[in-house]
Amino acid sequence: MEEQIIYHPDFFVIPEGGGKPYLIAFQCEECGKTWFPILPYCPNCWSEKFKQRGLTRGKLYTYTIMYTPQKGIKPPLVFGYVDFPEEGVRVGAQIEVDAESTKEQLKIGMELEVKAGVIRQDDSGKDIISYKFIPAHIGGSEQ
Amino acid sequence: MNYRDVYVIGAGMTKIYKKAPVPADELGRQAIYTAVKDAGIAPKEIQSIFIGEMGGLSGSVCFGQRVCGTIGLGGVPMANVESACSSGAIAVHQAYKDVATGRCDVAMGVGVQHLSSSRAGGTGLAPDPRDPEGIQGATMAGIYASRAQRYLHEFNATPADLALVSVKNRRHAALNPYSSYQQPITVEEVLNARMIADPLTMLMCCPNADGGAAVIVATKEKVRQLGAKPVRIAASSLTSGIFRNDFRDMTEMEITIRCSQKAYEMASLGPDDIDMVECHDAFAIGEFLYYEAMGFCEHGEAARFIRSGGPDYGGKVVFSPRGGLLSCGHPTGCTGAAQIVEATWQLRNEAGARQVPDCKAAITHVTGGGVYGLDNAACTMHILTR
Repeated sequence: MEEQIIYHPDFFVIPEGGGKPYLIAFQCEECGKTWFPILPYCPNCWSEKFKQRGLTRGKLYTYTIMYTPQKGIKPPLVFGYVDFPEEGVRVGAQIEVDAESTKEQLKIGMELEVKAGVIRQDDSGKDIISYKFIPAHIGGSEQ
Repeated sequence: MNYRDVYVIGAGMTKIYKKAPVPADELGRQAIYTAVKDAGIAPKEIQSIFIGEMGGLSGSVCFGQRVCGTIGLGGVPMANVESACSSGAIAVHQAYKDVATGRCDVAMGVGVQHLSSSRAGGTGLAPDPRDPEGIQGATMAGIYASRAQRYLHEFNATPADLALVSVKNRRHAALNPYSSYQQPITVEEVLNARMIADPLTMLMCCPNADGGAAVIVATKEKVRQLGAKPVRIAASSLTSGIFRNDFRDMTEMEITIRCSQKAYEMASLGPDDIDMVECHDAFAIGEFLYYEAMGFCEHGEAARFIRSGGPDYGGKVVFSPRGGLLSCGHPTGCTGAAQIVEATWQLRNEAGARQVPDCKAAITHVTGGGVYGLDNAACTMHILTR
């Protein structure tokens, strides 16, 4: 099996023992603004103090299906922006749905969960594992 | 500080090519040559020079010096400027600033790009792969398609409405000998073209292109001395993107709203005074969002605006009279300067078959750069008047 590379371990957690994977947003303790991913200090007030906020389930703001994606990615690629209303942050990432009925499965406003999966290959052909989204009714914990 | 009035005294460009017959530096020299001849000045009268090119794609450091050296333009302050698609417009902005602030009396901004030699065909222009969305596979088409998907969800608009932008701009390009694409297209052809990023088909996405454009600016005294038709730069507005991770409204072009408010304020003009706009129609949805961001119609009304002929000849304002990026092609770093050349020709009543009738005020607008967390990395707007 090809070696796998996990991208961004500092803000994407896959719990040992089978818990649901989650992302980490960083809320500034001074001004309250939330950022994703990790930053050395707050772009708004330059404070270095952050509170970590776990992100597991959000709502689809918008999406597209790309048929001419970047090198290293096989089309079609579903990509979307997911809002986490409580935490006040939006994350753009791949969405895993059945390619044959993609449009029927995607509805703006639907709930999505974080999951781990292969997002692309690097230049040497190795899989890169990172976060992606999956419809919440299917469940992000399934691997 | 009191700024001096600044005028365009020379404008020149190459044809926009699908694949240019000469390399990047030669495109720059051809554009400069036509602009200098147009101005009727001696080349050595140019006192400062700025050259815009996206991302060093020509493969040369100090690209401007390479362009200018062998045509005898060295010895003056010269700087290479880069902000993706905005590069050429920022080069003109820098030249404007030199004259406005009294740093010199004659300055030049140039934009050049030779994409056909520097990018692989069949791949989407994408944000930096180090960006969180870049590594996830987002392309520029994908990001604009996401805007379009949300726009169609929120407002009364369909993909067929978006196709009207492509059809209109191709009809305009057919009358422009400088454009890459002149064959008319229909709404059906646009909708049935290969899907790039849903809902944007290939004919709703601008093609890669090669080209060079140069703009020479000067004081009012210089215009009088030359006896040239005066085209004034009433506003030169440049701004940068603001990093945000919260719930940005992707149907609203925040950076363009800020940049246009500043431009209107500088020029003491409003949307009702404008006769034509060359905007950053890299994707059909772009024109929709810019009608609204620049105040030509209300937010959410773009489809109705284009259906009624608002942004066309005979309507409220002519958008993309040269054919826009969609049909001229988009030589990224050149485009911003090429738009200013077009506006100059239109204001001088020299635009031939595509002349906007009685054109008195023109906007050029070009954003640039997919950088994580920013609406766009850069936005540059000019308002030119006669």
